[in-house]
Amino acid sequence: MHPNELTLNDYADDALTGATRAEVERHLESCEVCRGVVDDLRAITRATRTLTPIDPPAAAWLRLAAQIRREPTAKPSAPETAPSSIGGHLRRWGWLAAAAVIAIATVVGLRLGPMATRHAAPASAPAVESAPSADAQSVESELRQAEAHYDKAIKGLEQITNAGQGALDPKTAATLQKNLSVIDQAISESRAAVQSEPNSEPAQASLLDNFKMKISLLQDTVSLINEMRKGNDAGAARIVSGLKNKGE
Amino acid sequence: MPFPSKELTGRPERSEKDLVARCQAGDVDAFETLYRSQAARIYALASRMAGSADEGEDLLQEIFLQAYRKLGSFNGNSSVGTWLYRLALNHCLDFVRSKQAKMGKITDTLDAEASVEPSAKRETPIARIDLQRAIERLPAGCREAFVLHDVEGFDHREVGEMLGIAEGTSKSQVFKARMKLRAMLPR
Amino acid sequence: MRLRLSFVLAGLALGTAAAAAQEPGAHAAARERMAPAVSRVATHAYQGRDRGQDQTERFSRKIKLGRDGRVSVQNISGDITVTAGGGDEVSIEAVKHARGDQSQLASVHIDVDERSGRVDVRTTHTARNDRVSVDFTVVVPASASVDVKSVSGNLKVTGAHGVVRAESVSGNVTTADTPQLENAKSVSGDVSLSGAAAVSDGDLSASSVSGNVIAKGVRARGLDLGSVSGDVTITDAACDRLSVKSVSGSVEYSGGISKGGRYEINSHSGDVRLVLANPAGFELSASSFSGSIRSELPMTIGGDADRRDRGDAGHRRGGMNNHSMQATYGDGSATVTVRTFSGNVVIAKR
Repeated sequence: MHPNELTLNDYADDALTGATRAEVERHLESCEVCRGVVDDLRAITRATRTLTPIDPPAAAWLRLAAQIRREPTAKPSAPETAPSSIGGHLRRWGWLAAAAVIAIATVVGLRLGPMATRHAAPASAPAVESAPSADAQSVESELRQAEAHYDKAIKGLEQITNAGQGALDPKTAATLQKNLSVIDQAISESRAAVQSEPNSEPAQASLLDNFKMKISLLQDTVSLINEMRKGNDAGAARIVSGLKNKGE
Repeated sequence: MPFPSKELTGRPERSEKDLVARCQAGDVDAFETLYRSQAARIYALASRMAGSADEGEDLLQEIFLQAYRKLGSFNGNSSVGTWLYRLALNHCLDFVRSKQAKMGKITDTLDAEASVEPSAKRETPIARIDLQRAIERLPAGCREAFVLHDVEGFDHREVGEMLGIAEGTSKSQVFKARMKLRAMLPR
Repeated sequence: MRLRLSFVLAGLALGTAAAAAQEPGAHAAARERMAPAVSRVATHAYQGRDRGQDQTERFSRKIKLGRDGRVSVQNISGDITVTAGGGDEVSIEAVKHARGDQSQLASVHIDVDERSGRVDVRTTHTARNDRVSVDFTVVVPASASVDVKSVSGNLKVTGAHGVVRAESVSGNVTTADTPQLENAKSVSGDVSLSGAAAVSDGDLSASSVSGNVIAKGVRARGLDLGSVSGDVTITDAACDRLSVKSVSGSVEYSGGISKGGRYEINSHSGDVRLVLANPAGFELSASSFSGSIRSELPMTIGGDADRRDRGDAGHRRGGMNNHSMQATYGDGSATVTVRTFSGNVVIAKR
């Protein structure tokens, strides 16, 4: 009695003609159920046509840029790091540095690029040193560049979280703040360790791990704030699925 | 968080030619401009085809890296956007095909799930975000056909060619996807 | 038949036992009013003027749900407890609590959305700053998948055999006997799992920001656990891939190492303890900036390329430079990577 659904689908697409089409139309006049199917199919097609391009996460460009800068033809805007025997290790950091920075740069209207480290640490120098010669120095400068990127991202994220804290309930806001401080403490310790022993791999690894951890927590805080703001409190809980220590 | 996608300014042809030339010469900043003008469209295609935002991001990266390397062979017969889109589409199709190779070909059969119980009229309009999420949850097989036909606008014959299936199979896969979406979307 | 209904519950809610007695009648009446197309049933409750006392309303509903159905409950304020029962029904009991004005109860709606194979329950708060919470007690068929979320409420899921996800912002999350646990997360609450396994071939994730993560009796291909300031304790675990991270919390993993598996544990200042019973062979790569590293297992110091015959494991401590241990146990097929900044690392034998 009812036309099969594939036929209704064709009808919804205006792909039926002549007698078949007329038959279906007659049926639809008296059948609410089939009308519902056709209406739904058309609603889906209409909605699908409104789908727009999707902005990728800003981290995507940074990762890409890091890879492109390693291409033989690329002319990077930042000074090149000297080749070193720890080459593989440095490349890994380069990737991490790029991966750290997020949408923030655009949100706060800043151009990406090296900048002086935010915290005035004793051995602090401008973030990127020009053409370091020794291996140890290139390791340090690469690390400082990574730090600079992380710092920038963190600063931007912090601006957003500070502005948006009101959207979170006080207890959650306090928990997140406290844990950000825990990570900050860890970052200071790692930084001090790197300064006192620049060649120590555990020190370097811990610094970068802690940066990643901070970014991850800040990102998730921002998402949580956004969800709360939308008044979609239940949606906020969905965000919690991102609130974990993001590893790789 | 969205970033403002930069439009290419100035007379399109002229500035595009310049931009491409600079990219070909290794200017990373110029490539960034190109990226910003095209990434959203490519990312949408990739994540919808792959069914996940994460895989979409990986594909986005691979696609643009490939584009950077192949720009040398771009001859200006089409706009760089179209060239990039074709490159992206091929890359996504390769991805889909290799996934299928592991999971089995798309067949023509419609499983029982596809039939939906009769129901009352839809009350709420379909929110874009719900639709986007629902598309990502479509099973592989019908998802790609749906994305190519309903989202990207290719006809069933073209979809069949791209996915290596019969035109009729493309039709039934798109139908299957629509029915699944219908079941998934909130009323 | 698909129904979409939202209830503003009737009933004289005077916070006394008498109110509960009223409930069946009101409930039955509400049910009779239901028809397929009805979207909202509103009845006006007695406007009590009892300020400061806990006002409550009860809500009760049973819905048939076939095998392998999905049940989701989204709540904003209030606990959710889900238990698997026999049978093919979902039974939902909800209690609304409001401090103060009775009319506040009406500002929170409980929507129940029923579709073939799915039951979705949601609370919607229409007034800002209401102080209404809703506690849910739900019994689901054993094969059901369960998805529970609350912003500020404790979650507990026991015995559901379908895919389980439980997420809270400021509540504790507790799961037990869930053979397909996908994730259990909280921001400020503790996350406790017992008798959990992952969805086949998938990962099991559990994390908190400030709370502890405790997992007892877990089996998964991949285990992904973490906390920022909380401790992570895993006992009786079997997995092929492990990733555990904490910043200031300690980590203890007491479980198996499987052949060819990859295990990675990081903590900044917390101690890391691995207690391994009959592990498969593994290559250990442990490093700490200032913490000590010690292994009770008989290991060969150095990697494959640098084998020296040793009896007991080497033991490094103190000092200003790298603290690291590269050692091999057995055939070295699996990889165990432990990194801390200042925490001590101990690999113990069971």
